[in-house]
Amino acid sequence: MRRLSAKGFLALLLVAAMAVSVAGCSTGSSSGKSDNGPIKIGFLGAKTGNVAIYGLNGLKGLHMAIDEINAAGGVLGRQIQLLEEDDAGQKDQATNITTKYVTADHVAAIIGDPTTGITRVAGQIANSHETVIMSFGSTGTGVVEIGPYVFRDTLLDAIAGPAMVDYAISKKGWKNFALVTSKNNDFSVSLSSIFRDAIKAKGGNIVVEESIQDGDTDFSGQVTNIKAKSPDVIVFSGYYTEGGLIMKEVRKQGLNNVVMIGGDGLQGADFWKLGGEATEGSISYAGFSSEQASGKTADFIKKFHDKYNEDPELFAAQAYDAIYIIASAMKAANSADPKVYRDKLAQTKNYEGVSGTITFRENREPLKSPVYLLQVSGAKDPASAKFTLLDKVPVK
Amino acid sequence: MSTVDNSVSGAVPGAPAPRRQPAWLKLWPVQALLFLALLVAVWAVTEALNLVIPAYQGQILLFTGINVIITLGLNLITGVTGQLSLGHAAFMAIGAYAAAICTVSLHLPFALALLLGGLVAALFGVVLGFPTLRLSGDYLAIATLGFAEIVRVVNTNLKITNGAIGYYGIQKRVDLPLVAMLAVAAVAAMAWLENSRNGRAMRSVREDEIAATASGVNTTFYKIQAFAVGAFFAGVGGGLYAHTTTFIQPTDFGFLKSVEQLSMVVLGGMGSIAGTVLGTIVLTAAPELLRFMSNYRMLVYGATLIVLMIFRPGGLLGGVDLRDAVRRALMLGRSRTVRTSVGGDGQ
Repeated sequence: MRRLSAKGFLALLLVAAMAVSVAGCSTGSSSGKSDNGPIKIGFLGAKTGNVAIYGLNGLKGLHMAIDEINAAGGVLGRQIQLLEEDDAGQKDQATNITTKYVTADHVAAIIGDPTTGITRVAGQIANSHETVIMSFGSTGTGVVEIGPYVFRDTLLDAIAGPAMVDYAISKKGWKNFALVTSKNNDFSVSLSSIFRDAIKAKGGNIVVEESIQDGDTDFSGQVTNIKAKSPDVIVFSGYYTEGGLIMKEVRKQGLNNVVMIGGDGLQGADFWKLGGEATEGSISYAGFSSEQASGKTADFIKKFHDKYNEDPELFAAQAYDAIYIIASAMKAANSADPKVYRDKLAQTKNYEGVSGTITFRENREPLKSPVYLLQVSGAKDPASAKFTLLDKVPVK
Repeated sequence: MSTVDNSVSGAVPGAPAPRRQPAWLKLWPVQALLFLALLVAVWAVTEALNLVIPAYQGQILLFTGINVIITLGLNLITGVTGQLSLGHAAFMAIGAYAAAICTVSLHLPFALALLLGGLVAALFGVVLGFPTLRLSGDYLAIATLGFAEIVRVVNTNLKITNGAIGYYGIQKRVDLPLVAMLAVAAVAAMAWLENSRNGRAMRSVREDEIAATASGVNTTFYKIQAFAVGAFFAGVGGGLYAHTTTFIQPTDFGFLKSVEQLSMVVLGGMGSIAGTVLGTIVLTAAPELLRFMSNYRMLVYGATLIVLMIFRPGGLLGGVDLRDAVRRALMLGRSRTVRTSVGGDGQ
């Protein structure tokens, strides 16, 4: 029993050591808000885990933008220093990091998270510590409502969805819609309700609504129901994997001249790899396209290609814009203190970014123009198939 | 299972008391008051600490406290009673949603919401307890896994939980002193439960169900009770979690969460309260402590788990009993440990 108590004591020691080392790894508190030294910007996003691709792509854009800004002399004569912590797509880790950024590092702004869910969690903390947070990927509801320090520079589904529906009804003449929702996908559920409202508002009919689950592979039941109502087009709010498989089933059941339209969730090569020729002509929207770029965007794409040897995608472009928007607000306010430059940031109007023109409305929701409509072409040969630019729809 | 178990034979009637304790100490109102005093002391200390500890480290401690409450519940089910559960996160989810709905939609006070979250989870614990009457070992693990999946799918499709989009707009109500107090209360409650007649019966179910039945232990009752109490703790922890992150989604409480909680219990030492607490501290703090490794962080995290399990297959504190340490410190009641160690002092 003495041995056990010695072990118990050891355990207590271990616990104490743990607590001390946690306390000890505080990074000091040289303030990013102070008037000299670098301006600290915190990156919030996943570098590991399921949604790491968004965070990693965003980081590429961030690194590029910060290198450019620093090479040009920085902001207000100060260099920008990027702090990168991985939240692994987990809410508890995101809570920890955001707390660290705002209380220990005193960052001037947080850029991230690319997902709506974590932005809701982190936004709460950043806002209560009066630190600006700008998400470069969240499109869902309940984000900027958190408070005056929460921003995002994304193309909202609430803007792009109606634009897409408008194009389908007025340009394509489609009237009868089949709406398919993936029930266990938060993005799909909220986008479907946007599509539903837009179709009704613009005079279309939803002739049939079907629901699926992410991860399903057999859609014969749903497609049979859709076929019975003979819609002009299928609206699918989910992701490319299920989208491709649904279209394959649609053609298999002999519904030959119906295409799929949807959100940017359809944008993945697996869409035509799984769906094959059935996906030809399907349309989705996006806040960024590297095709037919001009001016600033073309420049960005070229430089990005030189640096990373690949074309930039949405998250890289939006992260790139996020840091520039914040930098210009700091310049306008002549301060890197979020309490000071926040007002200028909220007044951002017609900012020419690489992912479009950005204006923050009264409620800080971004108004982005244009909406890029992209169409699948060459799906017969999945190796060379791609999304080509169908139209740029300006948003007012 | 190599846990040193002295509690079954702990209360030998008529054994000579090694050290005289004042009679008033044995009265339950006195013990209850002492316990309350302990909670108040913990609250006061953490309230003071809260001013000193940087917010980031405080945040890690807060999540550690929440996880301790949850894993203690799992330890009761899996470690003490021996019912392997792979669906503990489901109870956490039920508690989180129930508590969040209570505060946001029903405008109930936070404390009541936490309690209700725990009770709703306990109710489902009883529901899940029933399959355990027929299943054991791997088969039970699969059943609990299935239960967790059902909870996830139901949460994804219910309107009241806001489906896959997740439940948001929860007020942040949790701070470190509250969590510390509840965690200490959870540890004390578990220590008290496990050292009671009830707890010994639970252990007997784990050691040998047939022998336990033959000795007159109602194994059905104790197994369901373990699930109910374990689920209650997870539910309270879930309620705290929801009011910390302010936003919850069905995917937060998936299979991986259950496995993470089981890892904490196994790493610490199944059936040991101190072990569970230590395992939870290590696995909650590790992802943050390893941040300096940047991209190799989760790799090292996994490797640490493997190495620890190779060198400490029974868990970090497998065989160490916090209850005796607490008893000695507070001089509450008697146990064989006290006798032995006092005897040791006399040598």
